Amino acid sequence: MSRHERWAAGAVALMLVAGAAIFLYAPTDYLQGPVQRIFYLHVSSAIAAYGCFTVVLIGGLVYLRRESLVADRFARAGAVVGVVFTTVTLVMGMLWAKPIWGTYWTWDARLTSTLVLWMIYAGYLLVRRLADPGRQAARIAAVVGIFGFVDVPVVHFSVTWWRTQHPGPVVVNDALPPEMLATFLLTMACTLALAAVLIAIRYRIETLSDERMHMAEEVKVMTAPEPRMAP
Amino acid sequence: MSFVVANGLTHWFGRDLVLEGVDLVVDTGEHMAVLGDNGAGKTTLLRVLATALRPTAGRLQIAGLDAFREKRRLRHHVGYLAHAPGLYPALSAVENLEFFCDLQEVSRTRVEEALDIVAMTSVAHRRADQLSRGMQQRVAIARAILHEPRLLVLDEPDASLGEDAAELLTRVMQGKTVIMATHDRALANRLCQRTLELRHGRSHGTATRLHVVT
Amino acid sequence: MNPVRVAIAVARKDLKSEWRTRELVPALAQFVVLALLIGNFGFQVDTHNASAIAPGILWLALVFAGLVAFGRTFAAEREQASLEAMLMTPASPVAIFAGKAMAATVLLVLCEVVLLPALTLFFGTPLGGDVVAAVLLATVGMAALGVLFAAIVARVRARELLLPLLTLPLWIPFIVAGGQAVQSAMGLPGSYQEAMGLLLDFDILFVVLTSLAARFVLDE
Repeated sequence: MSRHERWAAGAVALMLVAGAAIFLYAPTDYLQGPVQRIFYLHVSSAIAAYGCFTVVLIGGLVYLRRESLVADRFARAGAVVGVVFTTVTLVMGMLWAKPIWGTYWTWDARLTSTLVLWMIYAGYLLVRRLADPGRQAARIAAVVGIFGFVDVPVVHFSVTWWRTQHPGPVVVNDALPPEMLATFLLTMACTLALAAVLIAIRYRIETLSDERMHMAEEVKVMTAPEPRMAP
Repeated sequence: MSFVVANGLTHWFGRDLVLEGVDLVVDTGEHMAVLGDNGAGKTTLLRVLATALRPTAGRLQIAGLDAFREKRRLRHHVGYLAHAPGLYPALSAVENLEFFCDLQEVSRTRVEEALDIVAMTSVAHRRADQLSRGMQQRVAIARAILHEPRLLVLDEPDASLGEDAAELLTRVMQGKTVIMATHDRALANRLCQRTLELRHGRSHGTATRLHVVT
Repeated sequence: MNPVRVAIAVARKDLKSEWRTRELVPALAQFVVLALLIGNFGFQVDTHNASAIAPGILWLALVFAGLVAFGRTFAAEREQASLEAMLMTPASPVAIFAGKAMAATVLLVLCEVVLLPALTLFFGTPLGGDVVAAVLLATVGMAALGVLFAAIVARVRARELLLPLLTLPLWIPFIVAGGQAVQSAMGLPGSYQEAMGLLLDFDILFVVLTSLAARFVLDE
């Protein structure tokens, strides 16, 4: 087994362990019933998505500073994995919201900023797909990633502020009993491990894709000596 | 004395290899013609030489400076004529040139001088979109020489120019180092001392004084 | 030439071109009036709900007009290869970007000169200095972002799809704060000062960021 396959197997095993904990170990919530179990994976996915976004940000910043192809590949990998986790977060959130709140969607700060996160990722991936591959695509994608990273908390803050202007119903957050907390931490750790493995695999795919497209490593910028003349 | 030295210029647009390991040397004051069919990579090569495009790989030295690191400093030395004239259609020839004089940090008296060299003084105040393609080409040439650059990179300067193209270009290229792309071998022979053949992105050698039976 | 003068020269050139062709501003003005009319019928506006709906229609019209206006700032440049010619001069890319953003702001403001009185006319909402100030303050930040992203998508296929997708998430804070400011100015609950303070903060943040990003986006 190659090392990527071993990591993948390990990540799957960890997720199965987390799944077991969610369904067998964690107690059923008194108020919300079994639907509440979505919460463990939903919040873990959200955290993984933000983690991937940080990878995109750092990859972009390093790329702009040093034109490092490695940094750009990490950014690309982070974006692909991140959009998957963001989609999972949004879908699970909607599945949970319907029975609990009676509606699939509401424009509160968290949901709005998660949707914004998704739109930025989608935009990032589209820009990469549609621009001429190479240096220019990497630069403008890096700019998109950086702006997106700044925008998400700004949007979150704006919507939170707006709610202070127009107070609405407050969502009560109970404290978590210890078994639930333990399950949540376990699930989060397993999900982050899964995210890391997915990024590593995606990084490898991007490397192979670059080689197929003959992307050179950094353009060597040295003063040119007299070249050999063509015959 | 070499003014332009290029080594292994290679450029990929996605999966298309457009330039492959092109070397060239142009001495100070020399005129070089880049010849080749459409799609051979002439425009891409010229854009790289004018520092408008960073190639995927390769090295370029202009006036002894590394062209990629010292791009800002080299701007003063390079004048570029693109494949299309690229004038602002709603502005007159004079207004187009005055705008670029300001950006190039040269005195606006250069506008009159440049228009004179390309023989466009009579239509100086006409809107660019009311000029013929050949006239726009002349104004674009004028724009390329406003800041009196030492190196001229011209992409098919003779396109649409008409009969006195050779005389006009001789005036423009006087005393400068020039790299020009063209289809017209007779013109290349008349104006340039060296030629570079480009085929499918690869250099097929340089020659001096290509002799053509016209 | 110092960057400020470069920016002003670029802005003047853009505005002069627009003045001579007179294409964009009349089209935008017509568009916003249509948006108001559609809003009026679509929302079944009457004297009771007018002041609640009007701010929303204002921002809707402004956002779409902005997308059209900013989308155009680089469309012509690209076709003419003149942006490349500008970048080959010593002028700094940030100054060029600033000039284009200023010109785009002016064009959008001209559109607002039509939009705001029309809003008052059709919806009966008050048109005070504070409404105008709120709209102007938001326009600055939105223009900086719109022009930067227009530059980004100018080199990319399917730019009409991509510009809204990238720009709208970044405009949301402006719409939230600006919407609140306009609502407060029109007498609805909420703090005008806080909203304006936020708009100013967002303007500063995004003007600085877009200026820093300009040279990576414009230059090869």
